[in-house]
Amino acid sequence: MPNEPVGVLVIGAGASGAAFSWSIADAGMSVLCLDQGPWMKQQDYPSNGLDYEARGMGDFSPSPNVRGLPADYPVNEQHSDISPLMFNAVGGGTILWAAHFPRLTPRDFRMKSDDGVGEDWPIDYQTLEPYFAMNDRMMGVSGLSGDPAFPYHEPTLPPLPLGKIGNTMAAGFEKLGWHWWPSDSAILSREHEGRQPCINLGPCTSGCAQGAKASTDITYWPAAQRKGVQVRTGCRVREITVRSDGMADGVLYYDPEGELQEQKAEIVVLACNGIGTPRLLLNSKSSQHPDGLANSSGRVGKNLMFHPYAMITGIFEEPLQGRRGPVGCSFWSHEFYRTDRSRGFVRGYSFEAIRGFGPVQTALWGMIRGFLPWGEGHHQKFARLYDHTASLIAITEDLPDETHTVTLDPELTDSHGIPAPRVTYRLSDNSRKMLAHAVERAKEALTAAGAVETSAEPLFREAGWHLMGTARMGKDPTTSVVNEWGQAHDVKNLFIVDGSVFVTAGAVNPTSTIQALALYVADSIKKNIETLFDSA
Amino acid sequence: MSDAPAALDDQDFMDALFDLVIPPSASGELPGAGTLGLSAAVATALQADPLLGPLVEAGVQAVREAALTQHPEGLPSMTPQAGTKVIEAQLNSSHPLLIMGLARYLYAAYYQHPRILEGIGELPRPPFPEGFDVEETDAGLLEKLQARRKTL
Repeated sequence: MPNEPVGVLVIGAGASGAAFSWSIADAGMSVLCLDQGPWMKQQDYPSNGLDYEARGMGDFSPSPNVRGLPADYPVNEQHSDISPLMFNAVGGGTILWAAHFPRLTPRDFRMKSDDGVGEDWPIDYQTLEPYFAMNDRMMGVSGLSGDPAFPYHEPTLPPLPLGKIGNTMAAGFEKLGWHWWPSDSAILSREHEGRQPCINLGPCTSGCAQGAKASTDITYWPAAQRKGVQVRTGCRVREITVRSDGMADGVLYYDPEGELQEQKAEIVVLACNGIGTPRLLLNSKSSQHPDGLANSSGRVGKNLMFHPYAMITGIFEEPLQGRRGPVGCSFWSHEFYRTDRSRGFVRGYSFEAIRGFGPVQTALWGMIRGFLPWGEGHHQKFARLYDHTASLIAITEDLPDETHTVTLDPELTDSHGIPAPRVTYRLSDNSRKMLAHAVERAKEALTAAGAVETSAEPLFREAGWHLMGTARMGKDPTTSVVNEWGQAHDVKNLFIVDGSVFVTAGAVNPTSTIQALALYVADSIKKNIETLFDSA
Repeated sequence: MSDAPAALDDQDFMDALFDLVIPPSASGELPGAGTLGLSAAVATALQADPLLGPLVEAGVQAVREAALTQHPEGLPSMTPQAGTKVIEAQLNSSHPLLIMGLARYLYAAYYQHPRILEGIGELPRPPFPEGFDVEETDAGLLEKLQARRKTL
């Protein structure tokens, strides 16, 4: 039996697809979301067992190439300095994210005007502000209002406790007179809308068994389903189909039994992340769109931005109780966020203080960094490291670069035979200089906090969480894929709401901004529904 | 052709190897890795790893063969010093990644074992459902932030 046509078809049930679906449901159209992954169960998350650290490197690894689960597709990363990370399930990357929740700052939207590099966005911070606030309420954000690095906003809940490790590191920033502030965190410090507060399990990045971390399967989706939105899981979209006039009319997808299905829709919305979205567009070639759907500009899959990371770790004499508490949420610093050309690079970076390593991670990190021998002396050195390390992550701004791409791999395919993405990305000279600067400043901060020794990973390869820029927004259809409403220039009933539309990356985790954009696009559709396709 | 099991499946040999990689602590509080019954789990994990598995398998095979040339009963009957030298010789010749590859799974198995967790001062239980307490944010630090706060 053919599938009933729907008004809005959303592809991808992650951070952006969930927010968009929840909002667009108010338009009165039928809404269906397809996701290639399953619903997750909190009782299956690794922190229910002693082997939580091992599982975080196995079936809950952030790398689809390591996991290789049925919901995953492979990514050819041989031509990339950074490994792309993601999770394929209802909730998407929010299942495994750290939930660090900064917003882009107003200046991030006008990089070209301020610094003469990259591009300006066609929208600004003020446009998104109400959607940031709405999103904070839906996700449940803990934080401390008044951070001078951001426009004033009030997080929904009080900040999470820094713990001894955060207090120790923050004291180092204080000593240097550097900016620091408790992070906005999409983790509950108090009960919120039926969800229980954080109990400091530690391994947020392999799923939150407590449900205190905001993954969209437990925030937006229940609310969206109450509005009538349908979610169909285990469904992998092969291509977006088009009518003779070039407008999208639905998708072809493989159902959980592997049968090819057709789903018709009036509006198609992509929320597949900065790799999955260009992959699907490039796999959707037709006589009307021979270079892939919505790709008359040639920008689909171009300008991939990641945020190169450095991790700098200090070893302290005192135990820091660092394994406890949400691993990625403590405090941030924007001390080096803005351009200062005397540093030898443009733009800047933020620091994110993270909590400590578990025993397995301590052992593996110690071995790789040369601190922990095998054999004689192993235990003595382990005791010196375990619960005695604290780390800073430098999140550096990645400038848009057309040579950083997502293309279709000529050989690699997923389990359905659909061409897989190939990522081509080389660290730029600007990024190298920025990372080197960040490493030295982080060592200063850790030393000021009391570290007796430091160790740096100047480029953290397994950190390609932030997938941005590969279908960017802009007013000019010759240089961008979607307009300021996320609407494809070439296909008026096709919208993109994930990180692909980012024009520039800023130097903060992008999910708060991705979700605000998704809510803004949904609202724009609702407000303009009568005239949305007039120029088609 | 030898009837001996593959080195990864040779439990006595693997336990002896594990005890050399993570020996008992000087105080005796922490047991050696070879006494915890980890070999089957580590072997299974390695055999499922297409990258590290073959590297480690070749390395442990070479260690076992080299040990047998020095002692008729191989590694389990050698002194720790002699066994360590056999491993080091393989690391310095054909199998430089042996320990790193093995440790990827051995450390994971060892440091999640209840006896080891207790020995390093942790509760031998999963994080969930009890969770943990965390020290509050330092009031003195918060006071400093209050003075810098931007207001509406």
